[in-house]
Amino acid sequence: MHEMGIASSILDAVRKELQRYPGCRAAKVNVRIGEFAGVDSESLRFCFDAMVKDSPLAPLELGVDARGGDELDLGSLELEEISA
Amino acid sequence: MIQVPLEQKVLSENQRVAAGLRSALEATGTLSLNFIGSPGAGKTAFLERTLAGLPAGTRAAVLTGDLQTENDAIRLARYGYPVRQITTVGACHLDARMVEKHVEGWNLEELDFLFIENVGNLVCPTSYDLGEDAKVVVLSVAEGEDKPLKYPGIFRKAEVMILNKVDLLPYVPFKPELAREYARRIHPEIEIIEMSATTGAGLDQWLAWLAARAERKRPLAATLTEAMQAV
Repeated sequence: MHEMGIASSILDAVRKELQRYPGCRAAKVNVRIGEFAGVDSESLRFCFDAMVKDSPLAPLELGVDARGGDELDLGSLELEEISA
Repeated sequence: MIQVPLEQKVLSENQRVAAGLRSALEATGTLSLNFIGSPGAGKTAFLERTLAGLPAGTRAAVLTGDLQTENDAIRLARYGYPVRQITTVGACHLDARMVEKHVEGWNLEELDFLFIENVGNLVCPTSYDLGEDAKVVVLSVAEGEDKPLKYPGIFRKAEVMILNKVDLLPYVPFKPELAREYARRIHPEIEIIEMSATTGAGLDQWLAWLAARAERKRPLAATLTEAMQAV
């Protein structure tokens, strides 16, 4: 239910990080989600895809690393250089 | 392909606001508790019992969250403590910013307790730190014993589980021993208090826990105050 807000926080972080890399586009963002984080990965993916689609960030992939704790962390961002 | 590390909490903005709240409450020695449970678990009735049972002179304030209506604030305001309603207009949980906004104008130095009743939901509130000292999960015997297994996140993070509505035990198939076993399987150290907000059973045990927990926090605030005066 709150996965829309979580997806929106992830995309905010991606946009912020992208400003530091002019000439690049984001291909994939990797997050770590613990079993006890209170976040459903499938529902997060659904929200994430819906928000990315038709946005300047598309196509952007979400990578989910399922963990055992209560973490809800942004791991890394994969960038591609935009060819001129 | 370039890979850059992000290494931050997804909810880092919420975390930042929560950390600010926590240090403010640390300095004033205010014990803040975040009450989480399903809709209908009896969170408001349990808080009403708590407010009615607090020793005279206790300084407490209450925030209560719901999607809509001021009904809970009206119920809780009858006990003479300051109460504010947070209406989330659809959001399924409280976040740190809502708490920050709604404690504005309250002098935390004059508060021993800040009780925060979250939106009725066992899932989403688990993810949002409100700067509280402890989460308290309210489970009622009108629900299933296996809630701790179905919603492990909150039972793992809560310091106390209130098993509410025990006055209904003769009429429902709920087995308290099973609920305890499941809760301890998820969180071995969880404190479990059986309670009836309707009859007041278990209230003494809960109030004793509350007093002991507040006592544990106060010396810390005193140390902080001393340290600040020494500067």
